[in-house]
Amino acid sequence: MNTRANTAAANPDLRGLELALIALPVAALPHIAHQPPWITLLVVLAIAARAWLLSSGRQAPSIGIMALLAVLAGSLTLVQYGTVFGQEAGTALLLIMIAFKLLEARNRRDIVIALFLGYFVVVTTYFFDQSILTAAYSLLATWLLTAALIQVHAERHIERRRLARQAGAMLLHALPFMLVLFLAFPRIQGPLWGDPQREETARTGLSDELNPGDIAELLQDESTALRVEFDAAAPPLRAQYWRALVMTDFDGRRWSTDRNTEVIQPPVTDDTLVHYTATLEPTRVRYLPVLDYPAVLPDGAELHANYQVLRDRRITRRIQYQAAADLTTPPGADDPQLPPAERARALDLPAAAAPRARTKVALWRATHGDDDRALIDAALQRFAAEPYRYTLQPPRLAGDATDQFLFETQAGYCEHYASAFAVLMRAAGIPTRVVTGYQGGSWQTRGEYLRLRNADAHAWNEVWLDGQGWVRVDPTAAIAPERIEQGLPGLARDTDEPIPAFLRRGEGLSWLQSTHLSLEDWRDFARFRWESWVLAFDPERQRELFARLGLDPRDWRSVLIALGTGFGTIGLIALAWVWIRTPRHRRPAADRVLGQLSRRLARHDPTLARAPYEPVDAWSRRVAHAHPELGTTLETFARTYNRQRFGRLTPEQRTADLHQLRGLLRTVPRARPAFAPRRNDASRQRAAN
Amino acid sequence: MRADSVSGADRHRLHRLRDDAIRWITRRHAHDGETARLGRDRVYILPTRAGYTLVAILLVMLLGAINYSSNMAFLLTFLLVGIGHNAMWYTHRNLLGLRITSLPVAPVFAGATLSLPFRLEEASGRPREALTLSIGTRASAPLAIPAQDSAQVELTLPAPARGIYRLPRQRLHTRYPLGILEAWTWLTLSPEILVYPAPVNPGNVLGGAGGQATASQLRTRHRGETPDHLRPYRPGDPPGRIVWKAFARSGKLHVRESVSGRGDHLWLDWEAMPATDTETRLAMLCHQVLAAHAEGRIFGMRLPDLTVDPGQGSRHRERCLRSLAQFRSEPRVLAPETPRT
Repeated sequence: MNTRANTAAANPDLRGLELALIALPVAALPHIAHQPPWITLLVVLAIAARAWLLSSGRQAPSIGIMALLAVLAGSLTLVQYGTVFGQEAGTALLLIMIAFKLLEARNRRDIVIALFLGYFVVVTTYFFDQSILTAAYSLLATWLLTAALIQVHAERHIERRRLARQAGAMLLHALPFMLVLFLAFPRIQGPLWGDPQREETARTGLSDELNPGDIAELLQDESTALRVEFDAAAPPLRAQYWRALVMTDFDGRRWSTDRNTEVIQPPVTDDTLVHYTATLEPTRVRYLPVLDYPAVLPDGAELHANYQVLRDRRITRRIQYQAAADLTTPPGADDPQLPPAERARALDLPAAAAPRARTKVALWRATHGDDDRALIDAALQRFAAEPYRYTLQPPRLAGDATDQFLFETQAGYCEHYASAFAVLMRAAGIPTRVVTGYQGGSWQTRGEYLRLRNADAHAWNEVWLDGQGWVRVDPTAAIAPERIEQGLPGLARDTDEPIPAFLRRGEGLSWLQSTHLSLEDWRDFARFRWESWVLAFDPERQRELFARLGLDPRDWRSVLIALGTGFGTIGLIALAWVWIRTPRHRRPAADRVLGQLSRRLARHDPTLARAPYEPVDAWSRRVAHAHPELGTTLETFARTYNRQRFGRLTPEQRTADLHQLRGLLRTVPRARPAFAPRRNDASRQRAAN
Repeated sequence: MRADSVSGADRHRLHRLRDDAIRWITRRHAHDGETARLGRDRVYILPTRAGYTLVAILLVMLLGAINYSSNMAFLLTFLLVGIGHNAMWYTHRNLLGLRITSLPVAPVFAGATLSLPFRLEEASGRPREALTLSIGTRASAPLAIPAQDSAQVELTLPAPARGIYRLPRQRLHTRYPLGILEAWTWLTLSPEILVYPAPVNPGNVLGGAGGQATASQLRTRHRGETPDHLRPYRPGDPPGRIVWKAFARSGKLHVRESVSGRGDHLWLDWEAMPATDTETRLAMLCHQVLAAHAEGRIFGMRLPDLTVDPGQGSRHRERCLRSLAQFRSEPRVLAPETPRT
């Protein structure tokens, strides 16, 4: 007898309230940063009030007070947001509702509703953040909420440890279901309603225009812009130019992106392609950074004549795409001539722009004649020879930016060099344009992927050479070759520039800084895997996954097959697990031999089968009586069997006896199947008798 | 249950319909008798109202996940779906394999409250939580059983009228662990339930002053038995009356009768009861039995079709009371609720 007395508080229905008062604030915690302080305050006050009432054994506040509070909170939300719908206002209202529900909880139902809504609160945190940390945190919150639910329904106080284990087991057992549903539940492309634009705070990478200072801002941005996994070995860093935007139009100070360009088919090439998969952070614009020069396009993207790759819609969430590049064949390689209109645009220079530069170019022209190559080299030579500096904090440029940069400040970064170089080339009559994108990045040995930060943004040039097409020229490489060879960290090595610590790899770093950096690498790795494996799964990837199994998620039969297979597998594993865990008595070996002998004899004559209640001795005598020729065998068998089962034997004797039993079994011939009556007949006969 | 819009007849018909349905569902089950083991074939499970609420919340979450194409929302929703699905298993398992036994029910007098003890045994090594046993709308307190242990639970039912009763169908149910599903089983345990008539003092009926006198009139004297008469032991005789010396001599048990020294047996006679209807007579006889037992008398009882030989002691008392309870009465099903009229 073990009837346990209820030791709970006055109202046994409120047994889970204590835990709910812990679990729900935990679930709501991530919202603090995204809600006005008064809501946080209100929620904290309501929960603290209930905790105090509970601990002092008092009742919940009356319905009148609650109604008043609810109306007040509703109006405040309305005043704050002007609505009670939408992400922020809805979440605010949800939080207040839960807090009040807890404050007024009178019975089990109230607590259960609050806890169910708690699950909903967890899901609303994904409006702001979808990182792996948030995922881990929601697992914690779900665990606590589930534990509270269990306690509510347990009807007695359960020890915290057991509760934790039980809730943890429920979560763990649910994971396989989650996985199967996640992969096989048919996905459709949202949104179903509204505009979920605010879902992720878009971090703009490169902008449509190239203004002086734009990239410098980006260069301070440590966050990841793009991650790339190569199918085969990665090409060397210096060969990796990630092309995003092409700019031809120049107004003397500002370069702007080409618009309304013609859509073309990617060139067919025999060269070896570099295949890769890229994961791009949301940019809120349409361009996709691709490795120069694009040969196979991502799905849903188009190639423009200037080799910009644009997606069919703006990138508002992280996307993953597969593409391939031909590293050697530049745009226009097959065209002998640039079309005149194009040519004119690529040569256009405002009349007043850069007079000193024009003079300089005229000088070079005089020296090198018609040799465009030589002229390009001369310009690059100038950058290398003169005391130009690569700096992230160049002096302000006033007046004619190009001239001032070229002849006075002589300090700047990629953007300045690309712009100035383009002006020089155009002045010399060589069609030139500016390309922005990413260059460098850091190779993550952990995870084998290339990580391009916003700080790896870069600008370079393309010049038109008849017969060769748009040839890439990177003037920055002339000033700071390390920047190109090794990426920004290489550059940081031999400069006193105040370069952010994350760009200085290896040398000159304190222990703390390098630890931070290596942790940072780990974090990026985890983030990358989380993003590429979990967050990037969309209808398209689901189609790929299904296609690999010969299925199609748009066909309900396929979905049923996939779900059925998944759940079936879970069921089988669960069954196997239960089967393994169930303790069972293995029949002793001697018994199994006895059974075999009995069955073998029964094949000859069904009446010879040993009845379950029949002692082996009696049975052996009965068989010997019917078949005297078996007498000795059966007698020995019975004696050995009894010794084996009931005697006290050494392990050796036991094994020997067992051998003997098996030997005796073998001496009994098998029945000839033709004459052997079928078992059913035998039993029928017996029944008839 | 008692919605005003539903008329009594309709309610009755609904009740009958429900009863028929349950009978049809449980048609394969043998009658339980004293003990029942809960196998897979008799544990049923359905979602509760809270379960449907959770389903609604999960649907909203799923719509949100689709709308915002949020994989994390998908993950959480599907995790909760998995938890809900597994709750089915957990809840079902909380009932499965239990052995439930109805313990003997102490007889009571009509109008009192019957308490029905049951024992629940757990043999599979899993602690059980939040089990409730109910008959109709009467439910026991929730019960927990530690692994490899047992617990006892008591249900109380009103005992309306004297008679011998069968228990109506019992229901053992649980909503543990999440309350979103209820697993239950129908039990047809049938302990013997005796309800004695509520005692009525015949003296009171006859009224006032003559009470005692008439009470003694009701007794019929019998002569011819000496005070120290020894007679062979009969089961039910109080051990205190056994003549041990005689036992030592003869090796047989004898009891001394009539220690009161009166030398006569008291006969409680149906015909002598000052009432005309059966139930009142039985009630009066009941009172007389109790009174005679309290006085330690040897008494017999005569009913129209049954005579209880004279005797004494608590077993004798019970024999008499049982005959009163069973008098011209078929076993009936005990109504879980006091009928409201």
